[in-house]
Amino acid sequence: MVFEKIAALIADHVGCDIADIKAESTFEALGIDSLDTAEMVIELEEELGIEIQLKEKMETVGQLAKYIESQKG
Amino acid sequence: MIKTALTELIPIEYPIFQGGMAWIADGKLAAAVSNGGGLGIIAAMNADADYLRQQIAVARSLTDKPFGVNIMLMSPNADAVAQVVADEKVAVITTGAGNPAKYMDLWQQAGACVIPVVASVAMAKMLGRSGAAALIAEGGESGGHVGDTTTMALVPQVCDATTLPVIAAGGIADGRGVAAALMLGACGVQLGTRFLLAEECSIHTNYKEKVLKATDISTIITGKRLGHPVRSLKSPFSNAVFKLEYSQISDAELEEMARDTLRLAAVEGDMQKGCFLAGQVAGMVKKSQPARQIIQEIFDEAELILKGVNRWIK
Ligand SMILES: Cc1cc2nc3c(=O)[nH]c(=O)nc-3n(C[C@H](O)[C@H](O)[C@H](O)COP(=O)(O)O)c2cc1C
Repeated sequence: MVFEKIAALIADHVGCDIADIKAESTFEALGIDSLDTAEMVIELEEELGIEIQLKEKMETVGQLAKYIESQKG
Repeated sequence: MIKTALTELIPIEYPIFQGGMAWIADGKLAAAVSNGGGLGIIAAMNADADYLRQQIAVARSLTDKPFGVNIMLMSPNADAVAQVVADEKVAVITTGAGNPAKYMDLWQQAGACVIPVVASVAMAKMLGRSGAAALIAEGGESGGHVGDTTTMALVPQVCDATTLPVIAAGGIADGRGVAAALMLGACGVQLGTRFLLAEECSIHTNYKEKVLKATDISTIITGKRLGHPVRSLKSPFSNAVFKLEYSQISDAELEEMARDTLRLAAVEGDMQKGCFLAGQVAGMVKKSQPARQIIQEIFDEAELILKGVNRWIK
């Protein structure tokens, strides 16, 4: 569920097809830099009603989704 | 006297920071700025713990005023230098290139004021709630690693997004810039480029001369493709990278081109291979002065301007 939400946000941000976003897609390959990631995390927080504390750099979409799942508890 | 939330947060006379500058902002420059009434900041850059300990000792030998250390979170030595600033009980820690959340407990227990540099509203929101004492909103006019949004657009938006004191950085070099930053909602400023011409700044004379010769259009941004754009003075090195960046050259080759270039500029003054980081205000820097005089001049001018603002209200 989180993955789909992130994929939708990314597709919206970079204007690509949501079907092209896989768990193993890297943010770098998608053309998303650290500022974009921060913005999406803030948007996700508002949508999910949780606070996401990023302590490690996330390389792939799947990594971020998994991390957020774990923070949701 | 200009007193703001920043001069209350940190015991400094003027609300001005000298930003961390890799290979440039050492203990000597930081001490000179702190003695001049601002907050000097030592750049930890990619160096190891011993270098930082040494520079902290140099600063302490020259001043009893508070000073700061700038931690580059991407540095391979980040964990080690993060421990040094805690052990040494450095008063102010500014951070760049990432999220300092993982060091926050350590630093707060050491009693430090942690002030992250942010280049966007989302970063401000994210870093602002993790225990930061203030935020530095750095616009794309700055020298060094930069974001896209300009100081003029970024500062008010960051101020709207946080309740923390905001320090404006990027494109400020005189009293007009300071007055404008306060108008945008900031309670202080961080300058880099102007301090390159502080007498106590030990960079190579070629570097200083290059800044003195610069005009408003002398800088260029390179490194976007690799995800870390930097602003520097146009030079044979930066022009070559700029051209090659969108060619077939591999990322690894591009990285290799940039290796050691900051040291070559600052220490060797290598006009061919050096990368001379500087901001768009380089064209406003006209002379070499003691740090104390730079600060004094800037705040005398800012005060004069701010005292006169009523004249626009009819
Ligand atoms: C030569 C140079 C090196 C810099 N190196 C760093 C650095 O190592 N870490 C950092 O956080 N900021 C660095 N910066 C940014 C400064 O700390 C400061 O925010 C910036 O210079 C402010 O903009 P200005 O250049 O328009 O005054 C550097 C800036 C310059 C000009």
